[in-house]
Amino acid sequence: MIEFRQVSKTYPGSDKPVVEDLSFEVLEGEICVLVGPSGCGKTTSMRMVNRLIEITEGEILIDGEPNTAMSGTQLRRKIGYAIQQIGLFPHRTIADNIGTVPNLLGWDRGRIKSRVDELLDTVGLSPDEYRNRYPAELSGGQQQRVGVARALAADPPIMLMDEPFGAVDPITREGLQDEFLRIQQDIKKTIVFVTHDIDEAIKMGDKIAILKQGGVLAQYDTPENILSEPDSEFVSSFVGGDRVLKRLSLTRVGEMDLEPANGGTDGLLRIDEGLTVKDALSELIGSGHSRAVVEKDGENGLLTFEAIEDLMGGASGEPSNGGESSA
Amino acid sequence: MLYKILEVYARPDFPEKLRQHVLLSLVALLVAIAIAMPVALMIRNSRLGALIAINIGNIGRAVPSLAILALALPFFGIGFGSALVALTALAIPPILINASTGLREVDKGVIDAARGMGLSGGQILARIQLPIAAPVIFAGIRTSAVQTVASATLATFIGGGGLGDLIVEGYSRRGPEILLAGALAVAILAIITEIGFGVLERAFTPKGLKIAQKRRK
Repeated sequence: MIEFRQVSKTYPGSDKPVVEDLSFEVLEGEICVLVGPSGCGKTTSMRMVNRLIEITEGEILIDGEPNTAMSGTQLRRKIGYAIQQIGLFPHRTIADNIGTVPNLLGWDRGRIKSRVDELLDTVGLSPDEYRNRYPAELSGGQQQRVGVARALAADPPIMLMDEPFGAVDPITREGLQDEFLRIQQDIKKTIVFVTHDIDEAIKMGDKIAILKQGGVLAQYDTPENILSEPDSEFVSSFVGGDRVLKRLSLTRVGEMDLEPANGGTDGLLRIDEGLTVKDALSELIGSGHSRAVVEKDGENGLLTFEAIEDLMGGASGEPSNGGESSA
Repeated sequence: MLYKILEVYARPDFPEKLRQHVLLSLVALLVAIAIAMPVALMIRNSRLGALIAINIGNIGRAVPSLAILALALPFFGIGFGSALVALTALAIPPILINASTGLREVDKGVIDAARGMGLSGGQILARIQLPIAAPVIFAGIRTSAVQTVASATLATFIGGGGLGDLIVEGYSRRGPEILLAGALAVAILAIITEIGFGVLERAFTPKGLKIAQKRRK
């Protein structure tokens, strides 16, 4: 668990803090996304966790211990670190890159080698094909996979990720995000994830911390609650006018309670259960139908506009309208 | 003519002049490396330091070799020592400029990743910055070496000896074959230096960087 306690950062020679009085907790096994406009101090906040930047005031506790209890380098070897620039060492093979921290920790060669192969498998790169290659021989997407594998190498309980999928095209990025979420289901790391992209935050976060200029926490909550009950003008404009639709992207059609489709379903639009409700709604509108069939566990369910409205709890999602939340 | 040139190489004083020339160049180069590299390492994380070093280096490069030799004369007198000091001063700038630039041009993301994974400052230097900067550093040493071998020819003017002696002798005694023999020997020595350090440079370029260079082309 990571706990920010009234953390502030002011650079020498400046009287304006870049992070001000920041307090929140990242629970064990959760992804906490720090998101906000540029200059909101999200990267600074993340870098204070492993002390690449030192705190001016307050403290950060890791499993109850202040992160100043050991030296900065010792601390950083225990925390996974993946960044947008990836920063693979160009003169080292992929295996050497991934083995960096285990090597620093003094693991023996056999253990490092088997860990490297295991991680290459995890991130979907064939060990035999890739372990002896150099970073320049890999595509951008492959390099980002290696960057994530390298951050996971010593199996750190905590990971810091600063736009780790930022350097690739949108399609590759979606794939990497999906894959990482799948990996996270098994490894359950406690993750601080920085992005400027609210859609990525909604997709990746168990919790989202929205920061505004000057490093002030605007709202800290689940994606669902932030979308349904933004607690300020700033948050609601930052998440965007389409936040109701964004909420629909949090749920997959297969997760909805649908009425069974009785009788014939021939000629009706069929929708895959893996689609998000947002994409399903888009297909539904586009097809000109008012209902569609979703097949789940061998049974046919009926997706209708009413079912989608029910999912949203009937609330239109205005701030502080007191309507029921569907969380 | 060719026979006459070869006759010069057979003279009993030729090996001594060649030895002086090589020794002068080699010692000047080694001392220059011993001075320039620590300075480049010290200023590797300072933008101001690099700016100052590069500018001093560029001024040093702009001053003609002969002028530096002439400058050394009043302070160090006539002889080998004086020539050594002057040649060392000439050899420093290319090494300093390349080493400083090479170390600073290592990708910031690479350094950040290294720090973020818990490498210490010394480990980042030894395992990341130096290997990645090695080709640029060696290119500087090669430039410097070739230039030193060529400039050592001028050592003769301040009594430093070397192959320049033959050129001066040939000029004053109206013996073109002696002059040519000296000039030819210097040229061959410079080419050997260029090729030798080129081999060294390639040997010290990590394989991953060679691949990256090839991809970029």
